[in-house]
Amino acid sequence: MNRFIVSLLALATLAAPLALAQDAPKSIALGASIPSDRVAMKNVDGKMLTIDSVKGAKGTLVIFTCNHCPYVKAWEKRITELGNSFARQGIGMIAINSNDPGRSEEDDFDGMVTRAKDLGLQFPYVVDEGSVVAKAFGASKTPEAFLFDAKGKLVYHGTIDDNVKEPEKVEKRWLKDALTAVAAGQAPAVQETKALGCGIKFKES
Amino acid sequence: MAGRSDIARLITTGLAVSLAAALAAGCGAPADRGGSAVAAEPTLRAATAAQVLEAARAPGTKAALINVWATWCQPCVEEFPDLVKLHRTYAGRGLRLVLVSADFEEQRESVAAFLKRQGASFPSYLKDQKDEDFIDGIDARWSGALPASFIVDRSGAIVDYWEGKKSYAALEAKLAPLLR
Repeated sequence: MNRFIVSLLALATLAAPLALAQDAPKSIALGASIPSDRVAMKNVDGKMLTIDSVKGAKGTLVIFTCNHCPYVKAWEKRITELGNSFARQGIGMIAINSNDPGRSEEDDFDGMVTRAKDLGLQFPYVVDEGSVVAKAFGASKTPEAFLFDAKGKLVYHGTIDDNVKEPEKVEKRWLKDALTAVAAGQAPAVQETKALGCGIKFKES
Repeated sequence: MAGRSDIARLITTGLAVSLAAALAAGCGAPADRGGSAVAAEPTLRAATAAQVLEAARAPGTKAALINVWATWCQPCVEEFPDLVKLHRTYAGRGLRLVLVSADFEEQRESVAAFLKRQGASFPSYLKDQKDEDFIDGIDARWSGALPASFIVDRSGAIVDYWEGKKSYAALEAKLAPLLR
């Protein structure tokens, strides 16, 4: 009898995914290597570059972002400060815009150039044509951070901190803490976090 | 205590219902009949994830669609008229549409004005919880991307979810089988 019930439960478990349909990208897991790191993307300075070419000796931070999203706008100063500051500590940083400008006009290349200049970005801000890199990462929204260690393994995935709206009330600086740990050759204490964000505008077929 | 046949029946019935719902989701849906519970002015209540789920599990609900949106989210705005149409068509048949705005509190007036323009004059919600707690409180599988939708069946379980917008036909195909 026990074996019979176990078999039925196993069948139910196998069948469950059929009933629980879901349309959400599955992001790469902790410990994964950097995907699509040889894909050439156009930087705001007009040059083509890859994630591989911006890797840092201590680690690499890849942030999916854009121009229009209110969550990005609320966090962009903090993101810029982190990127600019940790670049001097051996962390390579790249900001990637994967939105289809056909669906989000403000996210076109000219807008990126203006944004990069206004913010004083000291790291690349590139166009992910056709969202191929976002799809390879399983990125779903902006902003979304993926931090890799010196060996190129994912050690942090998630958001910036715990208060998008009020920087002065931030209690948990998740990304900064993770960057600090990776720059010191250590594993971050918190490796996965979440926040709301703007869904990436993938090109509609 | 349930015997072998009872347990087997329970499990196979559950499987059959789940599989039927999954298969029916791609098989079209009945035509519009109209009817709804529309009030004159939209009410906008601050809500945590637990309160949102409680609203989706209100007595008499055959199926609920939770949709988390924002006024600044273009795909959310594009999808909105279809959500309201879905409510108008199926509210009388047991559908509960639980709209949750992720706008900040200071946008409350803009949210209310948008809901009114869209004719969404039934009770609606404004997220009132830290992001991570709200996201995982609704469904840990959700990345946090907007828009996000969740279908709750009559047992109160989340049986489907997705990120991004869907067409009216796709929404109808997912929900109509649960309203029979």
